[in-house]
Amino acid sequence: MILAVLFANSVGNILVERFFGVPAEERLHWRSFLVKLGADNLKGVKNEELLVACHKSVYIVYTVLGDVSIFVVGKDEYDELALSEVIFVITSAVKDVCGKPPTERLFLDKYGRICLCLDEIVWTGLLENTEKDRIKRMIRLKPPTEF
Amino acid sequence: MRENEDHPKLNVTHTRNIFLNFRNLIGAIGKAYRFNLSALNGAFNRCTAEYSPFLGIEKGAVLQEARVFNDPQLDPRRCSQVITKLLYLLNQGETFTKIEATEVFFAVTKLFQSRDLGLRRMVYLIIKELSPSADEVIIVTSSLMKDMNSKTDMYRANAIRVLCRITDGTLLTQIERYLKQAIVDKNPVVASAALLSGIHLLQTNPEIVKRWSNEVQEAVQSRAALVQFHALGLLHQIRQNDRLAVNKLVTSLTRGTVRSPLAQCLLIRYTSQVIHESAGNTQTGERPFYDYLESCLRHKAEMVIFEAAKAITELNGVTSRELTPAITVLQLFLSSSKPVLRFAAVRTLNKVAMTHPMAVTNCNIDMESLISDQNRSIATLAITTLLKTGNESSVDRLMKQITNFMSDIADEFKIVVVEAIRSLCLKFPLKYRTLMNFLSNILREEGGFEYKKAIVDSIVILIRDIPDAKESGLLHLCEFIEDCEFTYLSTQILHFLGIEGPRTSDPSKYIRYIYNRVHLENAMVRASAVSTLARFGAMVDSLKPRIFVLLRRCLFDSDDEVRDRATLYLNTLGADGAIVETGEPASDFLFESLDIPLVNLETSLKNYEPSDEPFDISSVPREVKVQPLTEKKAPSKKPTGLGAPLTGPATTVDAYERLLSSIPEFSGFGKLFKSSAPVELTEAETEYAVNVIKHIFDQHVVFQYNCTNTIPEQLLENVNVIVDASEAEEFAEVASKPLGSLPYDTPGQTFLAFEKQGIAAVGKFSNTLRFIVKEVDPSTGEAEDDGVEDEYQLEDHEVVAADYMLKVAVSNFRNAWENMNPDSERIDEYGLGPRESLTEAVNTVINLLGMQPCEGTEVVPSNSRSHSCLLSGVFIGNVKVLVRLSFGIDGQKEVAMKLAVRSDEESISDLIHEIVASG
Repeated sequence: MILAVLFANSVGNILVERFFGVPAEERLHWRSFLVKLGADNLKGVKNEELLVACHKSVYIVYTVLGDVSIFVVGKDEYDELALSEVIFVITSAVKDVCGKPPTERLFLDKYGRICLCLDEIVWTGLLENTEKDRIKRMIRLKPPTEF
Repeated sequence: MRENEDHPKLNVTHTRNIFLNFRNLIGAIGKAYRFNLSALNGAFNRCTAEYSPFLGIEKGAVLQEARVFNDPQLDPRRCSQVITKLLYLLNQGETFTKIEATEVFFAVTKLFQSRDLGLRRMVYLIIKELSPSADEVIIVTSSLMKDMNSKTDMYRANAIRVLCRITDGTLLTQIERYLKQAIVDKNPVVASAALLSGIHLLQTNPEIVKRWSNEVQEAVQSRAALVQFHALGLLHQIRQNDRLAVNKLVTSLTRGTVRSPLAQCLLIRYTSQVIHESAGNTQTGERPFYDYLESCLRHKAEMVIFEAAKAITELNGVTSRELTPAITVLQLFLSSSKPVLRFAAVRTLNKVAMTHPMAVTNCNIDMESLISDQNRSIATLAITTLLKTGNESSVDRLMKQITNFMSDIADEFKIVVVEAIRSLCLKFPLKYRTLMNFLSNILREEGGFEYKKAIVDSIVILIRDIPDAKESGLLHLCEFIEDCEFTYLSTQILHFLGIEGPRTSDPSKYIRYIYNRVHLENAMVRASAVSTLARFGAMVDSLKPRIFVLLRRCLFDSDDEVRDRATLYLNTLGADGAIVETGEPASDFLFESLDIPLVNLETSLKNYEPSDEPFDISSVPREVKVQPLTEKKAPSKKPTGLGAPLTGPATTVDAYERLLSSIPEFSGFGKLFKSSAPVELTEAETEYAVNVIKHIFDQHVVFQYNCTNTIPEQLLENVNVIVDASEAEEFAEVASKPLGSLPYDTPGQTFLAFEKQGIAAVGKFSNTLRFIVKEVDPSTGEAEDDGVEDEYQLEDHEVVAADYMLKVAVSNFRNAWENMNPDSERIDEYGLGPRESLTEAVNTVINLLGMQPCEGTEVVPSNSRSHSCLLSGVFIGNVKVLVRLSFGIDGQKEVAMKLAVRSDEESISDLIHEIVASG
């Protein structure tokens, strides 16, 4: 299950956070843990270069895209490789919506559409869609082209 | 976090205002002085470019704005903007009150009137985010049901997702028909939406979702890759408890076409599960599905290759022939440009190294290059794997590489490395010099408490297990406390020095380090140092006079605990020729373990009433009280070096003793030796709940039956337990104490006493509860006068050998073992037959003997093929018993055990062997 998808800006403020099946009282802990993980490791990392960590049986894959850091947390079948697939879909969709790796401002300008993309990609902790073109059409309620 | 978010906003606003004022001011000056303002305007624009569109966003204002949803002429763009703001607030962790959420939800439902596609998509999202309560869902159900049957596919898909997210069981039965249709819908988006909803609903309404398996089975054959992936996931979840069905599913799919790598990965996982479950059933030796796994190693997608390699490495009893192709692909991944692949590969190899270190040695060169990997998680995994696979000759080279690596990783990684080095040192004791030096070097560097504790623990374990490492290890610890910022570690090391230091060839060289603490440290460390000095004085006669001089100086310490300790030690150790009359050697009294659980001592001291009779420490119960069976035991921790003192749960031994001595029938039985944990004699939630506690005396056993009547309409009278002791020949019933009355929900006790013939008689007892039952009027609570005699069958219980053993810990097993008479030692070997694991075998023997595991030896490291376990206890008659167990397990899971016993009485050593032989 995908446990969390989190976007933060360059100083660690949360832009989007979505938890799936994580009790409310544990979310703050996860949020601070991920932000610290990013602060410790993401300096100087190139866009979309993936970093990976595991904490007990939970995997974390994270990266930087423009001014935004993206974290994906999963367990069981969502191990580091499955999560790298998820984060790849997320970064592609965000780039597609923003037209480039976003600045914080651009990210917030496109906030609504990014939320829609996330809704298409991860649903109740499961990976639903993986192609950016399809996602792009679906957030406008257009059927996929191959259909 | 919230505060952090607010500050930049305040600062930006503030800066902007200052900037505007400043610009106006400069503008005015510029006019006068013909300044060109373009440069200044550029700077201003750069500053404003980074404004958040949500700057100054406030929940109240957004809720006001949400009123636009009620406009008769809807503005889709404006409405979408307001929904975005609501989403932003929710994503920032903002919460809405019940009233606010309801108002927004009702307003949002109005937006179904709009035909704007973009807005409709936003509406679907915000409804899910608002998670309306059950009584509100009804408002939106009809709109969503309409969308679910819409001709527009995308309406259908989204409506399914929203409905399934917010629906409950009753509504689900209404829409089930549509969902089943949707699963086989031609549009993959609709099918996926229904399948994922199925996975989601399976948690809450499994019975309904299980009815969809035909449709899901059809979807597994879908040509759309993602539909197949989602269908496979759901189908497996539906059938996961049906082993045959999963086997069939795997068999058919491994022969068919799987379209997406994600689905292929799922299939590999399910295949691996089938292999695992059928492991015991294969007679031919050929592993089923191995060929499939092996073929997946040649798949296009790395994800699939990795999954297959991982599955192969995790096969039960995997052979090196089976392992080789998997290790080869993992080795290739080690040099991949993708960090995730490198991480996955090294993580898997790290696990393989625990069970098959030789299989991984081929990858050592690739792993060595990963020590400098930018991703520190990868580097740490590489190091710890190398430490497991390295041979004795490569230790020095490896340590050189690790030294450079240690300076730039975080403490949590360093701890993992230290633990790996500890294991390596125990594996290659001859290399202790290099490894001990490494540990002492990193001990001197900067680091947090946990890290330093891990190093100190490792050094302590090496000192204990490798005799040659003792002196150098102790000196490293001495140097460390000269500059240690952690009081806990200083005191623990001082205590350890007190135990080990006096037994070295030259104990005097440690005194300087210890006495320095008395001058330079805080009171806690000073008090510890005083105790350690005294221990040296007590154990090394030649040092005694000099130690007395030092202790006398401590009498002037500013702290009363330090002074008190110094005074106590000087007096008991016989300074100034004082005569010591403790009845036992002073050093034993001062430094040996009290052999009494501290909680028991505490309870006894609290119960002690000041009188002329002094407190008698021998009257303190010695048993470590086990927790009642109904409570779960906390998982045991890893063995630690310095370790935490044993703390037992609160004791009720005193209470039992008082209770029993107050009953005249049992008052002549003497001192209570042990009381067992309650053994349940009824299942949970039956009419009458009964458990039994076995109280063991020298000649007698008393069963205390705790009874509870759980029926409000009944009153039980004259309650007693009839025991059939035909399978307990050595026991003869001598007394009983029935229970007069047992009203509803008020526990009561009835007792039975038996005299036993053998010292450690064992037997089985069948129990029947007999009583007179009277009806109770629920309205008045009064019982009828007449009752009916009735019986209730209870479970049997046994008196076993472990009941005659007290769990009594010893602080230093080796000392205690050496101090026992070697003539009392009895050694024998036993075959325990096939066992599930070594842990299971160890626990069985511990439970059989009922003894206290020492020094954390009850924990068997995972994948160990051999294990030693140390047990201590006191057998009835106050006979101290120590046991050393050595276990070994072979490939067929046959366990062999060597048992060595020493005890105060040789007959008891023999008896322990008899218990094990008959158990």
